[in-house]
Amino acid sequence: MGRYLKLYLWFWTQRLKVLLEYPASTLVGVAAQVLSPAMGVLTIWVVVRQVPDLRGWSYDEVLLIYGLLTFSLGLSFIFGQNIWFLGQNYIRTGGLDHLLVRPINPLFQLVVEYYGYGGMDAALVGAVVTVKAILALGILWSPLKVLALLLSILSGSAIFMAFFLIPSVSGFWIMDSAISVTSVFYLTHQFAKYPLNIYPRAVLMMLTWLLPYAFASYYPASYLLGKEAGGLVWAGPFVAAALLFLGYRFWLFGLRHYTSTGS
Amino acid sequence: MIQALRRTATAYGVFAALILKRIMAYPLGFWVQFFTQFIVMAVTVYFWRGVYLGQETLGSLNLRQTLTYIMLAQLVMPLLQVSLIVHFGSWLRDGQLAIELLRPVDFQVQNFAQQQVGSWILLLQQLPLLVVAWRLFGLELPADPKVWMAFTISLLSGQAILLFFDWIFACLAFYTTDAFGFYLARTAIAGFFGGVLVPLAMMPGWLQAVAYSIPFAQAISVPVSLLSGITPLSDLPRIWLVQGLWLIGLAGLSRLIFRFALRTVTFQGG
Repeated sequence: MGRYLKLYLWFWTQRLKVLLEYPASTLVGVAAQVLSPAMGVLTIWVVVRQVPDLRGWSYDEVLLIYGLLTFSLGLSFIFGQNIWFLGQNYIRTGGLDHLLVRPINPLFQLVVEYYGYGGMDAALVGAVVTVKAILALGILWSPLKVLALLLSILSGSAIFMAFFLIPSVSGFWIMDSAISVTSVFYLTHQFAKYPLNIYPRAVLMMLTWLLPYAFASYYPASYLLGKEAGGLVWAGPFVAAALLFLGYRFWLFGLRHYTSTGS
Repeated sequence: MIQALRRTATAYGVFAALILKRIMAYPLGFWVQFFTQFIVMAVTVYFWRGVYLGQETLGSLNLRQTLTYIMLAQLVMPLLQVSLIVHFGSWLRDGQLAIELLRPVDFQVQNFAQQQVGSWILLLQQLPLLVVAWRLFGLELPADPKVWMAFTISLLSGQAILLFFDWIFACLAFYTTDAFGFYLARTAIAGFFGGVLVPLAMMPGWLQAVAYSIPFAQAISVPVSLLSGITPLSDLPRIWLVQGLWLIGLAGLSRLIFRFALRTVTFQGG
């Protein structure tokens, strides 16, 4: 564990050196990506402006849902963006071979080989939007609410990472196409930006149990605002752990079927 | 003269056929994409039904119009996902760009031919989802062939506009070492201002003005609004004039900027 922590820091440092070698490029990249979550805020604004009360949720309350989700998403991009490119940059090209011959866990190497600084923008916008919403809503804090907030961010990030990994592993069979599968899984999170009670029960169940992005947004926001959330607000960490476990088993399964490119 | 034309058409045809082969090489990817797109469409339909609860119209659109528009926009959305900047970036890094430029064909026309064929294949691949949208979610399509013709011409023009814009945008890869950030930003802007996430008719006036001052709406919102009946056919002359101006302007500009940006490129030899 200590060895991997040291390696993690070492990879971080190397990546930082690479980024600082091209500071202008890095800055432009980060600035350009701020647009992505900003478009999300605009979408919410356009929709909620038409319907000031979205089934019992005000504009700032919807912003809280959005902010929490976006912050978790940003963290997962910072730490796991490279997983997206498993099929395209590692399996199709045979580049995975060099991860397999080193005496380090190949998934660990895949994750740490490239840090998605682009996630910083989502994390930043998510944090700003969350703080703005919290201040506007005047939430009364308690130790349990602080714990729920922290757990929702951590488990939300883990859920996103799992949904980077699970579809990306399909790259062992469908190569390049895996990135579009991952994109669509990624796209699906957009619906957790809104209160789940606007959907029929089947959709609520889907976003809770099949694509459980709700644990990163709707349930913690409901709890913080004193709305009905039940015990589900505390289920996030367990769901995240189960998904990460499933993702890792699927990764191992895919790895056993890796045949490289030959030649 | 005719022989020369035939030779040119054959050369570009070969490049266009490569796209078909590339897409057909991964048939499983198509079914996975279909399944996930189906989920997204289902959630979108439920989302808008929820938003419309207790509302007759939003931004002058009723629920039926909005659903028809949004489902059609989702069906043609894959056409928005041009990743030319990622290709330029990767071709530049591995030196492939030098090989591409050495071919005895026009590099831009070659890409144009590939994009056109790729677009038609993508649209054909959407047919199963179209059937699902029609049978399961009540998508209503027009019976008037004139509407279909107007939609097709507008969509093709929009695709060409998008390629020329992306050509200019992709030149950024010659100045930066990491083009992925730009790709993500473009995807987000294209989805929003192209009118995939929310119909442009629902946006306030100033936001609509921004949307129509950049080319993404020409590729999605304009043709889809025609097909969904939001825009009447009487608007066609104005629409085609605007699309024509976009086309001419961006076509010329894209060639100029590419030639200028290429001067900054250094290919590593060895």
